[in-house]
Amino acid sequence: MSTANAQVKIAAPAALELKGLGKSFRLKTGGFFRPGYVELKAVRDVDLTVPKNAIVGLVGESGSGKTTTGIMALRLIEPTTGEIWLDGENITTLEAGELKRHRRKMQVVFQDSYSALDPMFTLAQIVAEPLHIHGIGSAAEQTDLALDWLERVGLHRSFGNRYPHELSGGQRQRVAIARALILQPDVLIADEPTSALDVSVKAQIINLLQDLQEDMGLSILFISHDLSVVRSLTDTVAVMFNGRIVEQAPTEAIFTDSRHPYTRSLLDAIPVLNPRHRRARTFRSRDELEADKPQIAASDLPGGPAPSEQPRLVTVAPDHRVEAVVTQ
Amino acid sequence: MEGGGASTVASTPLVEIDDLHVSFVQHDGLVQAVRGVTFHVDAGESLGIVGESGSGKSVSCMAVLRLLQSPPARIEARTLQIGGVPVMRADKAQLSDIRGRLAAMVFQDPMTAFDPVFTIGQQIVETIRAHRSASKAAARQEAQDLLARVEIRNPDAVLNSYPHQLSGGMLQRAMIAMALSCRPAVLFADEPTTALDVTVQAQILQLIKELQGDLRMGLVMITHDLGVIAETVDRVIVMYGGKVMEQARVEDIFDDPRHPYTIALMESMPGQEGGRRRLREIPGGSPNPVSPPAGCPFHPRCPQADAQCASEEPAFAEIGPGRHAACWRVH
Amino acid sequence: MTGYILRRLVSVAVTFIIVSVIIFLMMHSIPGGPFDHGDMPLPDAVRERLMAQYGLDQPLYVQYLRYMWAVLQLDFGVPFQSPGETVLELLGRAWVPSLVLGGLGVLIGAPLGMLLGIAAALRRNSWLDYLASVVATLGLTVPVFVTSMLLILVFAVWFNWLPASGWGSPTHWILPIAAYATIPMATYARYTRSAMLDTLNKPFVMVLRAKGLSENRIIFQHVLRNSAIPMVTVFLPMFIGTATGSIFVEAMFRVPGLGAYFVTSIRTRDYPLEMALMLMITVMFCLAYLISDIVYAWLNPRLRHGERKG
Repeated sequence: MSTANAQVKIAAPAALELKGLGKSFRLKTGGFFRPGYVELKAVRDVDLTVPKNAIVGLVGESGSGKTTTGIMALRLIEPTTGEIWLDGENITTLEAGELKRHRRKMQVVFQDSYSALDPMFTLAQIVAEPLHIHGIGSAAEQTDLALDWLERVGLHRSFGNRYPHELSGGQRQRVAIARALILQPDVLIADEPTSALDVSVKAQIINLLQDLQEDMGLSILFISHDLSVVRSLTDTVAVMFNGRIVEQAPTEAIFTDSRHPYTRSLLDAIPVLNPRHRRARTFRSRDELEADKPQIAASDLPGGPAPSEQPRLVTVAPDHRVEAVVTQ
Repeated sequence: MEGGGASTVASTPLVEIDDLHVSFVQHDGLVQAVRGVTFHVDAGESLGIVGESGSGKSVSCMAVLRLLQSPPARIEARTLQIGGVPVMRADKAQLSDIRGRLAAMVFQDPMTAFDPVFTIGQQIVETIRAHRSASKAAARQEAQDLLARVEIRNPDAVLNSYPHQLSGGMLQRAMIAMALSCRPAVLFADEPTTALDVTVQAQILQLIKELQGDLRMGLVMITHDLGVIAETVDRVIVMYGGKVMEQARVEDIFDDPRHPYTIALMESMPGQEGGRRRLREIPGGSPNPVSPPAGCPFHPRCPQADAQCASEEPAFAEIGPGRHAACWRVH
Repeated sequence: MTGYILRRLVSVAVTFIIVSVIIFLMMHSIPGGPFDHGDMPLPDAVRERLMAQYGLDQPLYVQYLRYMWAVLQLDFGVPFQSPGETVLELLGRAWVPSLVLGGLGVLIGAPLGMLLGIAAALRRNSWLDYLASVVATLGLTVPVFVTSMLLILVFAVWFNWLPASGWGSPTHWILPIAAYATIPMATYARYTRSAMLDTLNKPFVMVLRAKGLSENRIIFQHVLRNSAIPMVTVFLPMFIGTATGSIFVEAMFRVPGLGAYFVTSIRTRDYPLEMALMLMITVMFCLAYLISDIVYAWLNPRLRHGERKG
């Protein structure tokens, strides 16, 4: 826990706080006839704060642990280590009944909303389902609110009688967002919600999330591999690499003042939208990037922390943390 | 066919598609996937086809390799030829020539593109031997050289690997090696990096670009991503609703897009400027391929559309040197 | 590999013990005994002497342990209904017709069904496809004794081409083999068709076409091989199930096979024969599944080599 976090906590509890979150899987190796296992640390010691009324991006490539972190925060899988705090309350070990009460405050939207929408239900039923589960309102009120929400996400009320298969990808994602937000949660976890969408529709969904976030004062953890989307949508970004957060900063600082080699390699890989700026890139393997730990002299850091051999997250500028080795 | 290039005269393009129509018979009606597409690829040239899902970009290219099963596909074209071979009337020998030797294709998801029960080596060797009489040993040596050519560091180990043992990036390199194994005159790359990580995408795009230059091979890059286009090709066509909207040199498209769809697409790209902001969005959704709108397919979403756009279809006309567009507003 | 097989063999042994206990208990919990004959009761003294002679007067666990000890030495005892021979001798004698007829039924039916399934998948919505689905539906829904009756009616009664029943010459075999063959044929036709269609829709088939391979090579080298992997694994259990005889088929065609003994041994409380039959079936199915699993893993690179190297 950095001191920055402690200060936030005094002011007001963060919407969502992950403290030292970790997850290990037993991974099968070897063949059928010669089985073996290794322990894979999918997520290691992740500290991440989603403040109230803000969008935090969680960025990484496949195998970085970003999705695992997201579904752990939802407690859809149990963390091996660490704690999850929702609105100032530790929900890491809550039992099913109490957890259900807390789930109202935290909802999720996935990339593939088609498989998440029951094909046998009408859209009104799908959007109203969370109200039904939590026993909120009469059946008529539930339907009414569901239709209001369809409208709010940009679909006509008449869509209430339709079925998921009649929708386009963008429309389905709107329905998924309506269902997630109908309970007025404090936190929305959005796992690659725009990745499967067409370019011309992607912007619509990004704008919708922006608008709803502002209207509702929502806190969003936006998990994505797409740095361009993250740049337009988020307030701060955490970059995950090999199960760890290696850099975290206000979004523009990540794009203009990144300090970690992995973050830089990610940024360098983004296609440039100008054919006149084509360039030959040099690429570094993940192993090379893993070995390249930034070295920062303690004297260059605010607060002058103690030097250590072990790389750890250090604060290099306001709200800007980088995994580095602190030297003398 | 060695390297494409010199032997082909500029007047007869390597790939020529004129007024291609493709539709699919389905229970809910006739899906009109491609509605009168015309384009060509010169030898050694790189062409980008940009479009969203349902624009007809992949289907057009699959028609060139006759990869569409008919039925349910119905294919009509005034001209559809590659390397002088008429695709629609190709016999078995010509078809085998088209697929692999004249044209090769790299697909979107490398994880599902290989047969899971054979090794990578077996699948490349099989491709080589389908087109040329080579001993297994010779073909294997060639496969190994190809893997080295696509910058795989341990080609021997990869040859002996099964698809599930390799990463997506490695498989896509192997897929490219396999596509190159018969030195195709043109390589169709259908969203070759969409399923890959950002950093792997950059590597694969750079590899394809280098190989295209070195082998003086034609390249058709099919993608939804304008960034991929900007990085890789010389010339671009923009497709929407089964039709070509605009065609131009890549610099012209990015410097000065003319068609309202191209303009809207460019402006809706996220991440171009710093800071959290709302994006310019294109209202509405893709046209229904079963009952496409009359007139210009983009008119229901177009900010500049008027009555003419809704009733009359704009011709795909020259709007400048080497530039074409199908739009009443820019004619 | 050896480690895996050893572990599986231990589990076969455990299954064997559990099954033997359950069957032993069930058998003895059914009221009545082997020497209770309703119509012709034995004098009590005689019955008790017989019971003692076969050890049936002992407590159950003693009977069980004695029995299992003998089984370990491959002594399954003497069948009550045929005391002139040992259980093993009876099984060896009666199994031959079942093995020949049922075994040939599967060996002929499965490949035929597979061919039909392949043809159906390659010629979708053709008459072959409809034929395959008719065969599959009938084969799986019509009970085998109805099939048997039909076969007898058509080929023995109407046309008089083949003998209706008996176990004399190979001409006697044809109809029962045909009756046995229907189920494997239907099963294989159905599964092969759907497995082939499933594989044909996989993206890699498109890649194979784009590579310029001939359609024949694509089908027989790639599609069939991928589709066959799950099919291979159902073969052995199906073989065991059929080659141990069906009481219906054997009754219909009056084949002196194993099938009838499954029923008579229970009806007459022929404990030694019943136990031997059940244990034999258990072991054979366990081994069949074990071998199937090994073959499946060996055919499937994903299981054979585990997940990615790096």
